[in-house]
Amino acid sequence: MNEKVKETMISAICAVISIGAFLLLWWWGTHFTTLSKLMPDPVTVFSSLIEYCVGTVGKCSLIVHMLNSLRRVLIGFLLGSLVGISLGLLMGRYMLARAIFNPIFRFIRPIPPIAWIPISIVWFGLGEQAKIFLIFLAAFANTTLNAMTGAMSVDPEIINASRMLGAKERQIFTTIVIPAAVPSIFAGLQVGISSAWASVVAAEMIKAQNGLGWTIQAGMDNNNMTQILAGIIMIGVVGFLLAYIMRKAEEVMCRWNKSGR
Amino acid sequence: MSERVKVQVRNLTKKFGDLLVLNDVSFDVIEGDLLCVVGPTGCGKTTFLNSLVNIYDITSGEILLDGQKVNTKTQNIAYIFQGNSTMPWLTVEENVGFGLLYKPLSAAEKKERIEKYLEIVGLVKYRKYYPKQLSASMLQRVSIARAFATEPELLLMDEPYGQLDIELRFKLEDELVKLWQMTKTTVLFITHNIEEAVYLGNKIMILSNKPTTVKTTLINELPRPRDIADPQFIALRNQVTDLIKWW
Repeated sequence: MNEKVKETMISAICAVISIGAFLLLWWWGTHFTTLSKLMPDPVTVFSSLIEYCVGTVGKCSLIVHMLNSLRRVLIGFLLGSLVGISLGLLMGRYMLARAIFNPIFRFIRPIPPIAWIPISIVWFGLGEQAKIFLIFLAAFANTTLNAMTGAMSVDPEIINASRMLGAKERQIFTTIVIPAAVPSIFAGLQVGISSAWASVVAAEMIKAQNGLGWTIQAGMDNNNMTQILAGIIMIGVVGFLLAYIMRKAEEVMCRWNKSGR
Repeated sequence: MSERVKVQVRNLTKKFGDLLVLNDVSFDVIEGDLLCVVGPTGCGKTTFLNSLVNIYDITSGEILLDGQKVNTKTQNIAYIFQGNSTMPWLTVEENVGFGLLYKPLSAAEKKERIEKYLEIVGLVKYRKYYPKQLSASMLQRVSIARAFATEPELLLMDEPYGQLDIELRFKLEDELVKLWQMTKTTVLFITHNIEEAVYLGNKIMILSNKPTTVKTTLINELPRPRDIADPQFIALRNQVTDLIKWW
């Protein structure tokens, strides 16, 4: 058995054991301690989760809620990362762009998306735009920073080599800086997609009619802990899948970054 | 046959603040020369090469290539750096063809050149490999093939084998001589290794300690392939060593 297969098998077995142990502890807590007064057991939650997926929560099924959240996340994330990567690369490569935009960026970056809720309502109203704006901000901050770091850390020897080989400044940007920054950009996208997905709950608290954030909010309003937990589990599963897809995309795009023959 | 001057360096001076690194350096490089430049470590050999190709602005003086001011965008100059300068996201063949992206050549001609130089440096089998999958000597061979593929008028090499072990160095030195003899490219080879300079160069230029000036240039007519144990080789090596001493 080769090392990679062995490593994957060990990881899979450990994952099953740790998740199993967590569920067992949860089940034990809800059957033998006072935890049962605070939350339902995992069997109830998972059977309700299936019911919510085939039945309805509010006006539609949990799957439709998830798809609505996913749509918002993907639009916000794509816009945020597109603007973030472009700005980050420019700031990383060109001193003037960095001098102009970096002070504003450094001011905006630490502000959590949730702090923007009142302003986003004033600017965009209670509709979809305000929600997408919050997700945009979450994706933007992470992707900008990583794209800038990636563009700034390109080996100067490679830049000099390409210049010697006749590359002009625009060509250096497109054929050297952008590809060299790809691993760093992907690191930003990984964090960005997680932040965007995490922000969807906050975004859907702005007078939403659907979405996983709404499901949790509605569960809280109705004191329905099962619905809250079902929403949380769905967020976790989709977040995990998004991170996995991103990791696979990175493996394909950055296969050159792996050592060994 | 009359000798044609390829590079003219006139009164080249380079200062970093108050630190005088190159002091009124003047010399000519003849077309087709493999000129090895040796000098004490830290004497400004790399500064000299970087000044030549405008990586550094010179303080005063003049550097001409074919009678014109050096311009890397219009003149075909290649530079092989001390460290690894391959593009890690490109395969071996893409790296070799990288310099051709900016040259007005047909696709067929580019392909032909890539094949030719992959063959010469013995990397045909590894054409689809990425730099992270290669050894240090293979990486330097990629850089050498990439530089020669552009068929430069002038090739600058800055201690390209400085970080390699002795066996790899010998192998790559032979490869360089083979390529130089084939292409007749003018090569400026910077090194602090005296044996390497005597083994490679048809001329050896000796620089002084900082502030750097040209001490002398020796003609090296030892027959090729050269034998480092040959008494004539040892005699020339000792002569260069004596000239380089600044203490």
